[in-house]
Amino acid sequence: MNVLSALGEALVLIGTFFYFLSALGLIRMPDVYNRMQTSTKSATLGSLGVMVGVGLWAVGDGLSWSWFTKSVVIALFLLLTNPISAHALIRAAYKSGIPLWQGSVVDKYREHLEAKEKAETEASKEGGEE
Amino acid sequence: MLKRSLAIITLLIVGYWLAQGLAGVPFGEDKMLVGHYYLQHVKEQTGAVNAVTAIVVNYRGFDTLGEVTVLFIASTGVAALLWRKKRERTAKVEGSVVLTTGAELLFPFIVMFGAYIFIHGHLTPGGGFPGGATIATAFLLLYMAFTIYEIPHKAFEKVEGLAGMSYVLVGLIGLAIGGYFLFDWIWQTWHWGTDNIGRLFSGGFIPIIYTIIGIKVGTELSGIVDNMLKEEVRE
Repeated sequence: MNVLSALGEALVLIGTFFYFLSALGLIRMPDVYNRMQTSTKSATLGSLGVMVGVGLWAVGDGLSWSWFTKSVVIALFLLLTNPISAHALIRAAYKSGIPLWQGSVVDKYREHLEAKEKAETEASKEGGEE
Repeated sequence: MLKRSLAIITLLIVGYWLAQGLAGVPFGEDKMLVGHYYLQHVKEQTGAVNAVTAIVVNYRGFDTLGEVTVLFIASTGVAALLWRKKRERTAKVEGSVVLTTGAELLFPFIVMFGAYIFIHGHLTPGGGFPGGATIATAFLLLYMAFTIYEIPHKAFEKVEGLAGMSYVLVGLIGLAIGGYFLFDWIWQTWHWGTDNIGRLFSGGFIPIIYTIIGIKVGTELSGIVDNMLKEEVRE
């Protein structure tokens, strides 16, 4: 059973390393979007590592398999919900007008929105003339 | 500036006073008086492994009834304060596709988890109030993701009232059988589940009462959310 424990410990170590990277990204990155990118991705991966690792560690130390089941359920829940919350946060940040980093090159989303708006105003104009 | 510094000084004095009062209380020493009784007798008297829920529902069931009443009054008060003849959701922007799909997918899982919490109140941490709050969170998620979503009002309000009534009813059955209000008749009189303490079908009437409380709290908090998210519509 010691293989399981060692594997779990390694996974927890990897997970905490990714937690550290995500906190570092939060300080290091220039704007909201880059910060969200680094922090959500590595924090999700880090949580997965820590949770699966804790489950394996507990099983390896002679506790029941229900530890592993529960931790995997929590990990799956985080895996499904974290990207959705990150998506909602970033979208809300963009909609409330937070600017991109000045080094950014393209903003395809703004171009798309402007094109859509233009098409809509033209359509309404034509409708008014008729 | 003067106001702020005066407030800080007052708070510091109050904090020092409280710390002085607490400094005489030793930590890490056994100071339990009633606690010993609870810990030693909780299993044979109530059948629950979770001592907290046994105390909250069995030994001090009256307080829980009061808490449920407080929540009910809060929900009724919010409804009475925000009452208008015609009110609707005024949110204009639907959540993105990712958000709506995610909320739809997650909703049954969150409701299931809430039900798990309140059904297992006598075995694991939690109970009726956390479970009900989790279920209300699921409905809040739907409210946040969709602009047109509304809870089925008629059913929800009826279920809420029925749950509250059945809690009192369980207590009254105890009064009829055992002689006092909220008497645990399933455990004390029927001895039902005495040989499987620690499994699902044990714990006297704690699971039943917590299911009732969970349903009540879930519907109540959803109702409060519904009331607060609506705005008046003028025609």
